[in-house]
Amino acid sequence: MIQKLSAWFEERMGWKPIWTALALRNIPKVNWLYTLGSATLLVTVNQILTGILLTIYYVPSPQDAYNSVAFITNEITAGWLIRGLHHWGASAMVVLAGLHMLRVVFHGAYKFPREITWFTGLGLLAVTMAFGFTGYLLPWDQKAYWATTVGTRMLEVTPVIGDWLLRIARGGEELSAVTLTRFYGTHVWVLPSVLLLLLGIHLFLVVRVGISAPPTPKETDEKPKVWFE
Amino acid sequence: MSTPRPDQENPEIVAGQRVLGVVPGKPPGGDRKVLSEQEPVMVWPHLLVRHGVAALVVIAVVLVLAIFFDAPLREIANPTLTPNPEKAPWYFAALQELLSMFHPLVAGVLVPGAIVLGLFALPYVDRTSTIEPRFRKVAVATFTIFMVVWIVLTVIGFAFRGPNWGWVWPWQEWYGEL
Repeated sequence: MIQKLSAWFEERMGWKPIWTALALRNIPKVNWLYTLGSATLLVTVNQILTGILLTIYYVPSPQDAYNSVAFITNEITAGWLIRGLHHWGASAMVVLAGLHMLRVVFHGAYKFPREITWFTGLGLLAVTMAFGFTGYLLPWDQKAYWATTVGTRMLEVTPVIGDWLLRIARGGEELSAVTLTRFYGTHVWVLPSVLLLLLGIHLFLVVRVGISAPPTPKETDEKPKVWFE
Repeated sequence: MSTPRPDQENPEIVAGQRVLGVVPGKPPGGDRKVLSEQEPVMVWPHLLVRHGVAALVVIAVVLVLAIFFDAPLREIANPTLTPNPEKAPWYFAALQELLSMFHPLVAGVLVPGAIVLGLFALPYVDRTSTIEPRFRKVAVATFTIFMVVWIVLTVIGFAFRGPNWGWVWPWQEWYGEL
């Protein structure tokens, strides 16, 4: 049955070479630490799906934002669960991306020829933080409002352009309806676009260049040349 | 005689690997010749099965958290009522803690700037010809120290700070916000 179905699709889509190229590749023997990247990706998918569902009821204006989030939480079937998944998924995404970066650093996986994978990975980490920061404001409750006040105030310390950055982020001197729509637009349009672009390059390179091997002690114990000696 | 690996006898797989095979070039550091040294494995099933298991674990953890701990929703934002302490999201807690300790120029500009620059420069700073951590002691030690400091600052800023950013013991008063 499955074979028939796969043959039916193969005749119409010719997907087998793609599967072959993606999945029937040789890679070095790897361990569980190599799943941190895909785990981050999975949480990202969770954020996209639950995020799309949340936008159906969410309204980005100061009075309605709070009420719509309360409505999602209290009235809509499983709305509390969708919101919970999005809320906890956000923290999980930051944590998993951080752990993924740790693995890459300790394994030296950022070295040639994987520099671009590393740079796009850093970009993705920054995007993740920006997602968290802009999403934090959207419920427009006390916690959201004041955390964003504190967060945007940090921009002000930048020399020369600090004031300018602060006004760009807030859309004025203080947090207002403009800040909320700015954060919302950034959260649901700008950042996802950047995310998908960087993620596309990142994943393409993971396949194209291949993953690095876990560092294993060589049989000869000869010490390689190191730059700091 | 050892049996040939499946990829060696199947011309389709060989062709597929040529399409998405590694790009040419000579590594000054880094590693690309590993396949000949180690016993290689196939992405399917070796890695994909692990991805699947890890995915299930992550889904389970996030689902359990979402079911048992509701996403918080406080009272509606009130610009005239400043809470004490004002806390940034937890992943900025380290930065906020730094800002409370040092001049804003140091904590808000120099340190974050150095972190970003350092991370981007990493492939060019750590130019050892090996990926083994024991031969990359400077890179590994620097990063470990940075991570430990960052985690400690995050925990302090998140759980150990109360009104006026004063020290509180989290088991006595809790001000952490997720």
